Amino acid sequence: MRPSTLESLGLGTVLEIFQKGKMPVDISEMVDKVFGPKGKRGAMIISGASGIVGAGKVMQFASRLLAYNIPIIALDLPGAPDGISKQYKGLVAAFGRDGANDIMKNIIQLTYDGKSLPETLKAYNPKFLLEAIPEKLELKKAHYQLFKKQYPGIHIWSVTSGFPSSQLGVGIAHPAFPHEINKVFEIVENKPSAQTQLLWSMGLIPMKMSDDWSFVLDVFFCGLMLAGLRYHTKTNTPFWKTDKYIRQIAGPNPFRAHDAIGAKGSNFLTWSCLHHLSKEYGNLFTPTDDLVEHKDSGQNWYPLDHFRPLVNWSMTDDDKKELYTMIYGPIFQMTTLMLHEKRSDLTSMNSIGELCAQFTKGILAQMRNLGEAEILKTIKAYHKLHPESAKTKWYADELKKMNSSEWQQLYVNAEHDGKAGVITISRESYNSDVNAELNRAIDWLKKNKIKRVIVTSDFHLSTQMVGADTNEFFPALLNTKEGERIAATWSATARRLYNEFEISVGFINGKRCMGGMLEMMMHCHYMFATEDTSLGMPEVTLPVVPGMEGCHWSLRKAKAADRKNILKMLMDGKQVKAKDTVGWFVDYSGSSEACIKKAWQIMQKGNSVLPLRKVDEKPLGKLSWNDAKITPTTDVNFEEARKAIKKCVEDSCNAKLVDAISIQAKLSAEFMVTKLCRKGKVGSEYDKINQ
Amino acid sequence: MKKTKSMFPDAFIPYGTWGSSYFPAWQASPLAEVNIAQFAGEGMARIMSLRKVSINYLDYLIIGSTVPWHWKFWNATVVASCMGKRVPGFQMEQACATGLQAVILAGAQVQSGASEAVGVLTFDRTSDSPVGVFPERRSYRRTEVISDVWDNFGFDPATGKGMLASAGSIARKYNLDKREVDELTAYRYEQYFNAKESGFLDRVLVPLEILNIQGKHLGIINEDTGVKKISIDSLRAMRELDSCVTSGTQTHAADGMATLLVASKQKAKELSSKPEIEISFVAKTEVRVNPSCMPEAPALAVQKLFKQTGLSMKDIAVVKDHNPFAVNDAVFSKVMNYDWKKMNNTGSPLVWGHPQGPTLTRVIIEALEEAVDLGGGYVLIFGCAAGDVGIAAIFHVR
Repeated sequence: MRPSTLESLGLGTVLEIFQKGKMPVDISEMVDKVFGPKGKRGAMIISGASGIVGAGKVMQFASRLLAYNIPIIALDLPGAPDGISKQYKGLVAAFGRDGANDIMKNIIQLTYDGKSLPETLKAYNPKFLLEAIPEKLELKKAHYQLFKKQYPGIHIWSVTSGFPSSQLGVGIAHPAFPHEINKVFEIVENKPSAQTQLLWSMGLIPMKMSDDWSFVLDVFFCGLMLAGLRYHTKTNTPFWKTDKYIRQIAGPNPFRAHDAIGAKGSNFLTWSCLHHLSKEYGNLFTPTDDLVEHKDSGQNWYPLDHFRPLVNWSMTDDDKKELYTMIYGPIFQMTTLMLHEKRSDLTSMNSIGELCAQFTKGILAQMRNLGEAEILKTIKAYHKLHPESAKTKWYADELKKMNSSEWQQLYVNAEHDGKAGVITISRESYNSDVNAELNRAIDWLKKNKIKRVIVTSDFHLSTQMVGADTNEFFPALLNTKEGERIAATWSATARRLYNEFEISVGFINGKRCMGGMLEMMMHCHYMFATEDTSLGMPEVTLPVVPGMEGCHWSLRKAKAADRKNILKMLMDGKQVKAKDTVGWFVDYSGSSEACIKKAWQIMQKGNSVLPLRKVDEKPLGKLSWNDAKITPTTDVNFEEARKAIKKCVEDSCNAKLVDAISIQAKLSAEFMVTKLCRKGKVGSEYDKINQ
Repeated sequence: MKKTKSMFPDAFIPYGTWGSSYFPAWQASPLAEVNIAQFAGEGMARIMSLRKVSINYLDYLIIGSTVPWHWKFWNATVVASCMGKRVPGFQMEQACATGLQAVILAGAQVQSGASEAVGVLTFDRTSDSPVGVFPERRSYRRTEVISDVWDNFGFDPATGKGMLASAGSIARKYNLDKREVDELTAYRYEQYFNAKESGFLDRVLVPLEILNIQGKHLGIINEDTGVKKISIDSLRAMRELDSCVTSGTQTHAADGMATLLVASKQKAKELSSKPEIEISFVAKTEVRVNPSCMPEAPALAVQKLFKQTGLSMKDIAVVKDHNPFAVNDAVFSKVMNYDWKKMNNTGSPLVWGHPQGPTLTRVIIEALEEAVDLGGGYVLIFGCAAGDVGIAAIFHVR
């Protein structure tokens, strides 16, 4: 339907992965390319390693490259505050003490005076420098010169948040906070490098960007901060309350984020980003006086503990409109500018907002849902409130392209070779946009007479599948009709994978697949999962009642004797390894390559490759709950949630398949409005944001 | 209308750039448990927001407060930070004259050319007032402990007498009749409740929601809590504490804040929602009367002010005062030969309380709104203050 984002990394398409029966590159191959063959391998250097960015990246690379004996040289000035030790606690939490100690063993901390490199560096044969020193152009340039002079072949990337590659003279790999965890890197380079492909093979998420000031992430994030500051300036609304209102309407907490990252550094970076953007593009980006003051002082945005906010700020409907205009007006205007400059493919641009700037929904998805006229109205209304921004050029014509497949398929793509198709999902959690795009992808494949399909992640932006967006259910907390509508609509989409294709394979790779995404996948004729992938139905722990037929669909496919395992999954809410569920939950599990090959064989040869477990369309009769060995609990709320799910399982299983969809939707919706659900994750999240 | 000179020809009060919290009676609201300076700073930002005024326009802040508050040392600067704009400023206090004196000082600040837009923010929390411990080597206890609000009300160190006694002695001096003072009081309550029911007070008073330390709703300050309708019969039945003074014919301690802006002519036009309305400073004066005669001081201050300006009661469109005792208004009426029914049309501190610092600021705001309703004119504001002081000022609304 549109180009795969994977192609922008020089890694081909997802369809080609299945056609070739393997991943385009693997980590050991890329390690050899970047660091040299085993026995002659060089080192990775991270300069400015004691800072927030540097220290985070030291951890990220050291943990992933440990198996390949790549020394990670953490370089910084003598006396720089130690950021690496601070990471150790997190490392222990993620890898255990022994694992953390192993990773730390491979980190070599060296200091230099900023003018010359330590002699000992030579012994490590530096191959790859990730520069994370302060945002000063001349300083950075001199730093590169130092390395290039001594190690002419070294590959240099800057983690700069602003300067284009053309100004720096090196490639860009701009990362996102929190740096030790966030997998996204905005990459600026002429053509996909081995280093970019190495990142992908390590499970990180490199995204190709054009060489424009501040790329995409910082335009969104700093732009949002600026929008919040301008709203404060206009209305006096305190920073903390502005922050909470932005959280409510958009998702991010830009002010809180600055404080959490460290106000001193992040205030400077945001100012620097906006300052340079304003020089380049004008008033739309001009930092406010408050930002300049906080940049100079390094002061937090939230009040100190002894001045926790006292006076609340409620809003009228008109106030809400003004807030929306002041926040989204500039963001929409900035987005047209980025679209005009083609800063990235639309899927990446949209995803960056979600993965790195905490937007509940990507900006492009929001713009698409609003439509051209509404966006123009918002931008123009913003210009009335902030006339200075109107002086910055913007590109309304970009909004006329919204019917293109790039705009329409931000999260779900489809490819086919004339016989078999692949539907790829670029989002980790299911939501109404994914649902609509999935329907369009199915329509497109059917229009092209494709009868066999693999449904999977995009092997790029989505590295796991974690369920459904909790905020999609907020209206359902207040209204059972909304809950029923969501559950029935999404289930109907999932059933299309079963009803409208001769064969569908739900192909699960990545770290985990849970909740709503898993329910969608289980509707496919076959469900595959790579062996180490964790599968789970955590609804009971939230608690909610599964709404996409998770209470009966897989039970209808399992043998009577195996149903106890599924009941236990539902009632305990714990994750299980895919390889342990073969035959009763997944149909096939193995290495990534084995799964890819087997799935493609099915596409080519049909059911003969693997027996098909049919869905029993009749009522299932009595279920053997006692055999399920459900873990006892003394938690009254947990027990109540179990009761609700048990009722849903029994009622939907003891109905015909055709009727089960509405039974499950109804029971799921009824639970959403209960006090128990309101006290749980979805309800408390709603209350936290809205009250 | 008689013409007068303006005391600060370059300083103006931009119409509508003002507001006050309600004044809940002491210990009767969540204000009893908060840092009142923080409340005032945050409340001012909120009020100005509702008035569509960005605090970014302010370049100076004068705060007026009489009861010590936590971190008072940091003065106007910390309050400005709570408001959200780091401007310089200072704190002033003059007991119950604070609310007017702060506005006059703001006028002087603008007139001097030092500032273009000055915020006046007055506030006090009489509830749970701080207790000061003072080393007093000459006292027989060698250390004196004073509860700031109540101990000071009860004892003027210059005269050795309390406030209440001054009201009684003035009632006797002017041969006031308790029946008239009760009637006056009942009338003041009627005025207040009429103004409330007409919606007039909604233009002055801003409901403010208070959060607890977890950021959750603690309460909302949307009433002059404690003010109830009162009948003439119940006033008559009250025990006389001193001549013409009962619990009904005197004000009560309260908590609250009030704010307004003073600006240069150009700035005032930019900030006001009705720039065609001009509010200027005409004159101000103060007197100090004989010991323990405080309730007559305002009337004598007004006499002095009229001598200064050449104006008389006939020239005044709105008359409003700080009247902690009904005796004040009865004396004013006698001294100025002025019908007490013509003044305090929208209520007065006798009814809605006495949070000290902001009291006269709220009086000014109500009076200016009333003058605008009347199509303009001179506004006479006056009141008494601790130390037998009377303060009076005239503003001109056109």
